[in-house]
Amino acid sequence: MTHAELQKFIAFLMKRGWTVFAPEKRPGEVVYAEVQDAAKVKLISEPPLHSFKRFLVPPEETLFEYEKDKLNEVRDAGIKIPKQVIFGINPVDLKAIVMLNQIFERDPWYQERMRRTLIIGQSLIPADVEHNIFQIKYEEDILEHLQFDIFLEVQPLTPARNASASVAGGPTLSPKGRGAEYFVYTGSEEGQSSLEDFGYEDYEHIAFAGPIREEGFDPMMVKYRDALRKTYKKEIWENDIGARCIECGKCTLICPTCFCFDMKDQPDLVGDGGVRKRAWSACFYNDFSEVAGGHKFLKTTAERIHFWYYHKFVRIPDQIQIMGCVGCGRCAKVCPVNINIFKVLAAL
Amino acid sequence: MHNPYQTTTVKILKIEDEGSRSKLFTLEAPRDFTVRSGQFVEISLPGYGEAPISLCSDPSVKNKFELCVRKAGMVTGALHALKVGDKVGVRGPYGRPFPAEIGKQRNLLLVAGGLGLEPLRPAIWEIMKNREQYKKVQIFYGACDENDLLFTKDYDELKKKIDLHITLDKPKGLQTPVACGTGVVTTLFDHVKLYENPVAFLCGPPVMYKFVIKKLKELAFLDSDIYLSLERRMHCGVGVCNHCAVGSFFVCQDGPVFSWAELKDIKGAI
Repeated sequence: MTHAELQKFIAFLMKRGWTVFAPEKRPGEVVYAEVQDAAKVKLISEPPLHSFKRFLVPPEETLFEYEKDKLNEVRDAGIKIPKQVIFGINPVDLKAIVMLNQIFERDPWYQERMRRTLIIGQSLIPADVEHNIFQIKYEEDILEHLQFDIFLEVQPLTPARNASASVAGGPTLSPKGRGAEYFVYTGSEEGQSSLEDFGYEDYEHIAFAGPIREEGFDPMMVKYRDALRKTYKKEIWENDIGARCIECGKCTLICPTCFCFDMKDQPDLVGDGGVRKRAWSACFYNDFSEVAGGHKFLKTTAERIHFWYYHKFVRIPDQIQIMGCVGCGRCAKVCPVNINIFKVLAAL
Repeated sequence: MHNPYQTTTVKILKIEDEGSRSKLFTLEAPRDFTVRSGQFVEISLPGYGEAPISLCSDPSVKNKFELCVRKAGMVTGALHALKVGDKVGVRGPYGRPFPAEIGKQRNLLLVAGGLGLEPLRPAIWEIMKNREQYKKVQIFYGACDENDLLFTKDYDELKKKIDLHITLDKPKGLQTPVACGTGVVTTLFDHVKLYENPVAFLCGPPVMYKFVIKKLKELAFLDSDIYLSLERRMHCGVGVCNHCAVGSFFVCQDGPVFSWAELKDIKGAI
């Protein structure tokens, strides 16, 4: 698929009533923004600082409306979004979607959102992510372990593969000989039918084979899980990062896999009605573990930051056998006291 | 798709004072509702939110159930203001219960501190109702003072079939339905001879667990013969929100009752 065709495809989706969110370069950062003009859509290798997360797990959502003592489930009406396309998600963030899909597999609101969402992935992984300790590279064989509707494999400009190549250029030479800028994969029926309705049939379908590779568990997952489960290094948790962390919670907001939440009621200002909501929470906050009577089970900063790491590197692996961190490095970028997750993992 | 947070609206059938600080609510049971010792429900009061409360009633009673609630926060405060005939939302029951059936093969030692008697009460009533099926049972119960004693109207009946020992931390010298010792619950281990090779069920605050487990280990209890119920903050009740996580367990689903063998290596579990 050429870039011009891709832009036409996006215009086609918009015409069909989809709202399309795509990464957009703004001064100093890349953000997800609603696409107004499909002709301006680009593929950007630098991932948006704020990931896709809010489109699937919004900061706050209404679960019920209530009137006196009766709870009325809010599902369709509560999701006041049209059908959405999240465009340009790289394989690192797609791993986060695989994780969230499992965490929320029995959650009617998440599932409803997913039904209204078309995910278009792409293969550009930024250099800093490629070179962090997870060493994530794009290889075609990871696709069967990712979940997406459509995936665009960016073809290099020259016969030699060059993953960081710009796609804005002119005619390209593809190793698959199609002369296209993208090789198109589909991962769902919805992806297939939207392409076919647009009139594009030159895609390859990839059936999701589950998150775990045939060779077995991710050795990185096993390594960090075992290290964190078996040892507690006071010098890391208490003397170093527990002493530096200021509990701002930025890392939890920015993390594509942080999903912990509160449930709370919000009464209307007048009358007996109101809504029951679910909202992002953060294990760094003071009341996260507080019970009636005021006792807190996570009392110190060190206990809280340890809880955060334990969740990603032990609890999620124990639960679903994949790492709860995808290695995007966003938490390190936003941390005001320079806590770097990769350095912490290396010290485990 | 099934909505895991949908509540069933039930009527309050009876409200009694239970000790000086708690109230015992008898609620209409939702359809197919079962009570097992250690399990809890989320009680929903729209406008205030939800709170996890342990079931404390006789499991053989099918059309109603009881919750003993101390006023400690927003939801429990609002609950205390309700009257008979008012309605509350309920979802659950949730969680893994105490393995009361072990008492059919082994002697049991139930150790309760303060409000910790509530989650053990369904097991106590199950044993009372089917006494001949169970081996010997001892209860060690510690409360702050006479006014905090819970379920005092049960004691006469209990004494006949179960070896009941109560101790008060700060007694006020008031009259009680059974003779009470003085001191924290662990002092009972110094005075009372345990039945042979029992399985222990514990329910109380973390500080009680530290001292009671130490005693039990001195008495050569196996880690797998000690069961305890953990308290944690809970929001979802279905193992997603992570407020109640302990190690890789969710107290709401994997617990609240755990064996000490499962918990002893987890930092901060008690």
